[in-house]
Formats: sequence, C-alpha cells, structure tokens
Amino acid sequence: MNEGGKGGIPDDALIRTTLAGDDGAFAELVERYKGRAFAVAVGIVGDGDDALDVVQDSFIKAYYKLKEFRFGSNFYTWFYRLLVNQAIDRWRKSARSAEVPFDESWLSGDASPPDSFAYPRTPEDLARNRELGDALQFAVDALPEYHRAVIVLREVDGMAYDEIAKVLGCSVGTVMSRLHYARGKLKEALKTHREG
Amino acid sequence: MDCRAALMSIEAKADGLLPREAAAELAGHLAGCPACSAEDAAIEAAGPVLRALTGIRAMEKAPALDAMWTRVRAGIEEGREARRRSPWIARWVWIPAAAALAVFALLFYPAGTDRSPFHPSTFDVAVEDVESDVATVALVDKGEDLPRVIWIIEDAKS
Repeated sequence: MNEGGKGGIPDDALIRTTLAGDDGAFAELVERYKGRAFAVAVGIVGDGDDALDVVQDSFIKAYYKLKEFRFGSNFYTWFYRLLVNQAIDRWRKSARSAEVPFDESWLSGDASPPDSFAYPRTPEDLARNRELGDALQFAVDALPEYHRAVIVLREVDGMAYDEIAKVLGCSVGTVMSRLHYARGKLKEALKTHREG
Repeated sequence: MDCRAALMSIEAKADGLLPREAAAELAGHLAGCPACSAEDAAIEAAGPVLRALTGIRAMEKAPALDAMWTRVRAGIEEGREARRRSPWIARWVWIPAAAALAVFALLFYPAGTDRSPFHPSTFDVAVEDVESDVATVALVDKGEDLPRVIWIIEDAKS
C-alpha cells in the first residue's frame, strides 16, 4: 500500500523529496503514519511513554536509513520493520519484561458464562471496565515478543498475513501459527475475566 | 457439527477463512451450545478489545503524539550535530590502526606452539622478481640469522 491515494502525495514521492533535502516531506510521512505506528508500538511495549519513544526513535532511524529504501516496495512495511524491532528492543530493556512470567494456570477453565455478557468494543467502553483492560494487557505482556508483534499487526493495524511476514522476516505459515497461539491466549484471558 | 469441529471453525472464522456454508453450520451449532458460543464471543472480541486498549493509550498520549514531528525533528538535528562534531579523521582512523595491529600481530605472535615470538632487529623492503612474471613486495628481516620474510604481497608486474 502506498498511502496518499485520497488526493495526497504518494509515499515514494515524499521519500524522493526528503532525499533531495526537503525535511518537510518527511514531516508529512511522520504525520501520515504516527498514529498507526503508535498503536503498534504501544501494543508491543504496553506503556504509552515507552511507545512514544519507540515511534520517535523509529522515525529518526528511518530518516537516516532512507537512502536504503527500495523504491517500488511499501514504505510502511519497511518502516514497520524498524518500528517492531525498536519496540521489541525497548520491551527487552524495560523492567516490565521481567515482571510478567507466563502462568498457564490463570488462563484455564471452560465454564459456560451468562449469555447476556458483551465485551467492550470501544476505548470508552473499555475505560469503564479497567479490570478487563488490565487482564488483556497482562495476557499481551505474557506473550512471546514476536507473537505479540503478530497479533498487534493483525488485530490493531489490520495488516494482511503476507505483509506481516515481510515485516517480521518470516513465512506466512509462521505468522498464522503465531497468530493462532496469541489469539488463543487472549481469548482465554477474556473468557477467564468474563467468568470471574 | 460437534464441538471439536465448531472450535476449528471458530478459529477459521476469526481469520476470515471460513466458507459461507460452514459459517451457517457453525451458527446453527453456536445457537444451541453455550460453551462454544462463549468461545466464539471471546475470540471475536480479542481484536476489538485489543484495539480499544491501544485506543485508550492513544487518547492518553494524544498531545505528545500531536507533537511527534517536533520530537523527530529534534532527534534528526541532534544526529546531524553529532555527525558534524565528529571529525572525518576519527571516522577513518581505524584503517591505519588496523594495519598497525596486523603488523604487530605478524611480528610478535608465535605462529606455532614450539616457536617463540619473533623480535626482528632490522627490516628491509625488497622488490623481487619471481619467475619473471610477478612483482613481489616483501618486508624482510635481515637479522642475525638468515633473512626472513615477514610480510609479502604479490601483484601483476605491470
């Protein structure tokens, strides 16, 4: 996908203009992708301030590596690779990565919950159910890093399997198996919360 | 459809890979099976709840996110300044340093376990013809014993 289709300037053109010395074109790329980049980063690192740092560092890195970009490929796939690696590095260095050992036992159980239950689907609804948000964040934090990256790229960013495979440098089959595992863990966390 | 098949279909549905006929069959099973229905509801909710969670974080950090280009530009400027401050010689100094290290390693590191480190007293650079088709540049020790070639480069005579 090359953004800018809705009347905007295509990514490739902005990159060429940036390489010609116009930082304003790069500012446009930052504005275009910062929201999605933040959503992916916060999904991986969990903390909002850490995610802001990750997004900032990734854009700076992208700026200095821009001459390595291969025209014809997707900027955002190329950029997301930097972003995800930066986020995983950040996660490894953070204290939170050591705080959340995965414990299978708290996810177990298959009792039938009441039929009337509905999961929140908007930030506003979820904000009123902080416990569920915390439970889900705990489950996300407990996932292995690359499984977390896969579920965030798929569910938060809506990326296709082949795009995720390009970003993470793995096969589509690996993406699917990681997604299956991650989705299963999140599902169990949601079910456990619903039953609790 | 039994529960086992239903669970597989639920996963396929979440991936958007469930054919329409199978989806209808699954819906029929879910209507009469609370356990599979709960499973389906949870797996269907995983994506939206995760998006809602990142949405909350984004709302909390909206002002900082608005100023992202300011932060990025500051980082770019900082990088430029750092590059300006480091003199070009510092960036290339590794080349002569590596060459010096290589010569030292050749001179003082024993090649075999039964050999002592080599400490030459004098050096000479010789250009010699070998079989009259190659020029050889050699660093030669003309110490007390026989001349000893320490370092040699062969190249086309031209």
